[in-house]
Amino acid sequence: MRAFVLKHTIVALWMLSHGAGPALSHASEQGFVLLLPTDIYTNAGVTAVAATVVLLALLPEALSKCLFRPLHLWPISLKRLRFLSCTLSTCLLFWMIWRGLVGDRDPLDNPMPLLFWTVWWVALVSLQGVFGNIWQWIDPLRVPVHLSSWSNPVFRYPASMGYWPAAIGFLLFAGFLLADIAPTDPNRLALVVAFYVLATCFAVMLFGRRWIVRAEFVSVMMRSYGRVGLFGRARGRVSVGLWGWLATTQTAPPLSLAVLFVLLLGTGSFDGLNETFWWINFLGLNPLEFPGRSFVVLPSLIGLLVSNALLIGVFAASLWLGAQISNDRRSLPDLFRAFAPSILPIALGYHIAHYLTTFLVDGQYVLQMVDDPLGRGWHLLDLQDFFVTTGFFNRQSSVQVIWLTQAGAVVLGHIIAVLMAHRIALRDGATSWGAFVGQFPLALFMIAYTFLGLWLLATPRGA
Amino acid sequence: MTKSKTTRRAALQTLAGAASMPLWARFADAQSAEPIKIGFQVHRTGIGAAYGRWYDRTTQAAVKLINEGGGINGRPVEIVAEDDGTDPKRGAEVIEKFANLHNCDVGFGTLFSHVVIGSSPRAGELKLPYFVVSEGHHVASGALNRYTLQPGITDVKSQVQAMAPYVADNLGKKVTMIFPDFAFGHDHRDFFTAAIEAQGGEVLEQIAIPPVETSFTKYFPNIPRDTEVLYHVMVGPAVLTFVKELGEFFGPSRPEVFGFIDSLEAVDMTSSGLEFLEGTYFWEGNPRYAQTDQSEHDKFYRAAVGVDANGASISDPADVSTYAHMFGCWETLHIIKAGMEAAGYQSAADRAKLVEAVEAMGEMPESQAHPQGAKLFNGKTHQVFGHQYISRVENGKLVKVHTTSIEDTLYPDEVDYTTQPL
Repeated sequence: MRAFVLKHTIVALWMLSHGAGPALSHASEQGFVLLLPTDIYTNAGVTAVAATVVLLALLPEALSKCLFRPLHLWPISLKRLRFLSCTLSTCLLFWMIWRGLVGDRDPLDNPMPLLFWTVWWVALVSLQGVFGNIWQWIDPLRVPVHLSSWSNPVFRYPASMGYWPAAIGFLLFAGFLLADIAPTDPNRLALVVAFYVLATCFAVMLFGRRWIVRAEFVSVMMRSYGRVGLFGRARGRVSVGLWGWLATTQTAPPLSLAVLFVLLLGTGSFDGLNETFWWINFLGLNPLEFPGRSFVVLPSLIGLLVSNALLIGVFAASLWLGAQISNDRRSLPDLFRAFAPSILPIALGYHIAHYLTTFLVDGQYVLQMVDDPLGRGWHLLDLQDFFVTTGFFNRQSSVQVIWLTQAGAVVLGHIIAVLMAHRIALRDGATSWGAFVGQFPLALFMIAYTFLGLWLLATPRGA
Repeated sequence: MTKSKTTRRAALQTLAGAASMPLWARFADAQSAEPIKIGFQVHRTGIGAAYGRWYDRTTQAAVKLINEGGGINGRPVEIVAEDDGTDPKRGAEVIEKFANLHNCDVGFGTLFSHVVIGSSPRAGELKLPYFVVSEGHHVASGALNRYTLQPGITDVKSQVQAMAPYVADNLGKKVTMIFPDFAFGHDHRDFFTAAIEAQGGEVLEQIAIPPVETSFTKYFPNIPRDTEVLYHVMVGPAVLTFVKELGEFFGPSRPEVFGFIDSLEAVDMTSSGLEFLEGTYFWEGNPRYAQTDQSEHDKFYRAAVGVDANGASISDPADVSTYAHMFGCWETLHIIKAGMEAAGYQSAADRAKLVEAVEAMGEMPESQAHPQGAKLFNGKTHQVFGHQYISRVENGKLVKVHTTSIEDTLYPDEVDYTTQPL
């Protein structure tokens, strides 16, 4: 069997950006990344976050509060328009499912995986976090849910369930993303999405719209990210402020929702970790001949759960330690609830950094698909001479720009997180110095996490 | 060939065009208007995706050409592409889909060896002719079955052994090998050591690098001082680092250096850090840069796929193709066409006839269907043999300096698949 020359099993490995996500493996920038002075960049990024922590201790309290003060723009209410756009979005969803079932089998040609993974999961989640709750305008479930709730619900949604169904739903989704052997298969994905839509409608019939607010993970996740966007509603007006301003004005989320915030980061982190040489080597596999997702289904699921559990534990421990230092009498769950929103910008930074290279490539396939959505030889966008390219991964200069953009997202996410945590502490009555002292362990955690995020971007990947 | 988009959609457009004037007449004589369905097992995701993109582009260009020329036996060709995730288990599922769900006539196009090895048994059970483009020695080694064939690309054993005469005669007889410490590297070690010894040369040192290694300078002092040729087959994300550190270690006084282009497939040779490679030698499956003696067939093939004279996409000079390998898709599709025509292929019931027809193929002259060069197919081992190329890096380009004979690539048969029942 030694004669089985695994020539190409290896050759393309260094051409990869990241393969664990669906339809994501294209890039060749890894070789160039290893030639970049990423250690210097990493030190600079970590220092920037640490400097933010120190600066906050010195910053006058009033100025700290000012940071997140929004600018109120205009009063606006376009509910009818929203219903129309969501109806169109629902039509698009049904069209995607239909194309997934009967369309081209190639995941980079079929609208189902392209729109679901590249447009929704990669792009829209990022945009939601950056700009605010745009999902409310394009939520494809809004109309089916509206129709499903025409009669009174059979049961009252149990308050004790909180947001736990959404947290579990997100973990199941993450398992599909990270461990399923063919999450981009158009047919398979269409069936999964169709089942989820039907199950959601059924649940809404049983429990009413509260199911969407508390239990449907897509809505809950999107609203969560929407909390940290630039735009939001305050005092009846569209308002704009520094990322996270809206979240700092809101009351602390319930514990189940707070846990979901942390799961977003834990999952994003593992999504990066599971592609590294370190992880593949840890599993006893050769990172230069990664055998395929089917070989690591169980390790991926275990890794996903352990990563999230670890993160929850470390985050809680940081909060507990901070409370001990600053003599904060609040219970640990209350602290967890109060500070969990500050995790969101980190999760968003990870998401953007992790998927940027994917978007650069698969976004081109989306354009090709839009050019000819039904595979009829149309050129709606006049792209007849267009070829998908990964040339930007083949130049040191462009790879450097891409890497620094990714690193910038990670670092900025952490800086916002540090600022948010400080603001939340002030909101809850601490003095500027008190907040600094009380959050010192949390700040250390965030500085360490910056290092982890930048290391994930710089370290060789093999899956 | 004009600059035209040879994506799947374009190929399908040609197919759709077959139903209307004037193209329809090309398929009018067919007993069945149904297309010939070729299941394309493509690495869309997973570690093979970078190769998959170019294998797809080449495949679409070949199918477009075949359809414009009247298809196969008067029937249009349709590619049914399924992503195997570069995963053997998924690969086997995809083979089942081809046979049972999509009613494909054949399976085609797999590159990565572990996917071939995982998929081939299922293709054999389902009696689906499975045309792989993987370069692995697994076909000719006898490990697979009668329904698995590799007629469009040579295998690594023949490639490696064919390098030895040139290396020994022109670069030196005292060789030090640097290779990654696992099966891929070990095969190079074993095949080349035997081949260079047969040429009167010797391997002074075999330096195996752990796969997780990303810095190499510490291994270089192990290179014996009297080394005349350094043979390297490093792969993985750290290849550029390897080359850079090698340059820093040797400076201007280096031995001759010989490598396999696999290390730098799809990489721009003018990338920073690769300056050290100037004047060094590479095996190439198909010369990436258009040579001064470029054949009309290579010219045609480049234009059809949309590749410029530097081996990059015509739409982006930085988007370098997997030129040393992807011709295998083009040639394999033309062999499927030739095989089906020889067998009078009409339906899935004729699959066995197709296998026999391909087994009966011998010499394949250089042509539009075989732009990489002439080939010799061995029906017993299901493996094709062909010319190999050695190129030298000159001014940041690979310039062909040697073409091996097909005889240089031959080795004794290790299997006779024709004795297996169909």
